[in-house]
Amino acid sequence: MSDFFAFLVERFPDLLKALQEHLIISITAVVLGCLAAVPLGILLAGNRSKWLHSLVFGIANIFQTIPSLALLALLIPLFGIGTKPAIIALFLYSLLPILRNTYAGFTSVDPGVIESARGMGYNKAQRLFQIQLPLAFPYIMSGIRVTTVYIISWTTLATLIGAGGLGQFIFSGMGVNKKELIFLGAVSAILLALLADFVLGIVERRVSRKVKPSQSASAV
Amino acid sequence: MKKGLLGTMMLVLSLALLSACGSANKIVIGAQTYSEVKVIAEMYKALIEDRTDLKVQVKPDLSSSPVVINAMKSGEVDMATLYSGEIFNNHFELKTEPKTREEVVEAGREGFAGLGITWFEPYGFENTYAFTVRKEVADQLGLKTISDLKEHAKNMKLGVDTTWLERPNDGYKAFSQHYGIEFGQTFPMEIGLVYEAVANKEVDIVLAYSSDARIKEFNLVTLTDDKQFFPPYDALPVARTKVLEEHPELKEIIPLLHGKITLDKAIALNYEVDVNKRSEREVALEFLRKEGLLE
Repeated sequence: MSDFFAFLVERFPDLLKALQEHLIISITAVVLGCLAAVPLGILLAGNRSKWLHSLVFGIANIFQTIPSLALLALLIPLFGIGTKPAIIALFLYSLLPILRNTYAGFTSVDPGVIESARGMGYNKAQRLFQIQLPLAFPYIMSGIRVTTVYIISWTTLATLIGAGGLGQFIFSGMGVNKKELIFLGAVSAILLALLADFVLGIVERRVSRKVKPSQSASAV
Repeated sequence: MKKGLLGTMMLVLSLALLSACGSANKIVIGAQTYSEVKVIAEMYKALIEDRTDLKVQVKPDLSSSPVVINAMKSGEVDMATLYSGEIFNNHFELKTEPKTREEVVEAGREGFAGLGITWFEPYGFENTYAFTVRKEVADQLGLKTISDLKEHAKNMKLGVDTTWLERPNDGYKAFSQHYGIEFGQTFPMEIGLVYEAVANKEVDIVLAYSSDARIKEFNLVTLTDDKQFFPPYDALPVARTKVLEEHPELKEIIPLLHGKITLDKAIALNYEVDVNKRSEREVALEFLRKEGLLE
């Protein structure tokens, strides 16, 4: 155990560098995913056309089923190697969970509540931001938290296409038969994912408290 | 009706599982991720199945030589191709300081015998690490040897495989000390990607594998190891000593490729697979027929 700590201390600068690379890729992918999937989910929830619904979910589903390494490799001819294709591939992966949860959150809002809000004179924007969004928020956040944990884990593959990250310890550890390296990479990725989930949990609670659904609407 | 279907499925499933268990007459050949090794594995598969009644399963794309060696130690892989320079990768304690190709192979033979792995005579080619740049860059900066990189390296992006940065004796750290060269940025990646990466200017220099056909294909230039840092890396077949005792026929078959694969032939094999996109099996069979080792 003490050997491992000595090893950790020795490799600390490398660990920091890898963490930085890993975080940049993961965070960018998830943020872009949210920016794309949340509005899309809201749009779909408010839309009647079934074909549009099937089309969008179908496409997101296809991206989801492509094996992560294959998707990374497929993007190389288009975007080269390194962080760019890694972020794009992971962004595509993040779409479905966030999209699905946003959609579920919005469709779970009782239409009766919307009707009464309309009756009370709330316009579309007010209904969206003061009623629907707060009510759907737990669902959306759950989608984001799940996605973030997945993305942090999948980012370990990005090292194979030259994007660095914590995966570098895992693969090089396999290559030189040094278990401490594999351990370092894997445990760091796990801890990072747990930390991210924890932080997002705090964010969720804070925001939930602030953005309480409009009192008059819920009184109905 | 339903019961009959379920029963049939269970029977098929258990038969499939049982056939996977039967390993008495099966040899497993492990191969790393590069083409020449996979082609050689297919060659041995063809030779062994043709000349004995053993069945052979090839397990390709094991991510590195240490993974292959570990698989052999645990009995999951019976035969493989290794490169003699692997002896410097901390598999056993080196008691001598082998320098020449023959010395390195001898040291490997002795050292690995202690791990239950028998080394055979080399195929006839080396696959060593080669610093490789685009031709224009070599011309522009006047790069012929690795030492020529000294002033330029800190401004260069280096593409490497996933393990070279960590290798203890023939890796980046030791290299830096030997040559006094450090690169500006290093990008480890799956080795197959480095050739396009340097050809497309995503990186400035890569540490390629010298028998890869893509060096010529992408008009790249290799720098000479003037300070002789890299040890020899003779490709040679290895097998688990226990398996050789159980199946002595293999001792006749494995040496069949001794000296048959020169560097040019190895590059040609790689070319067929990596550039012409043919299957390893097809290329292996073609080679064996041409060499008169197979009908």
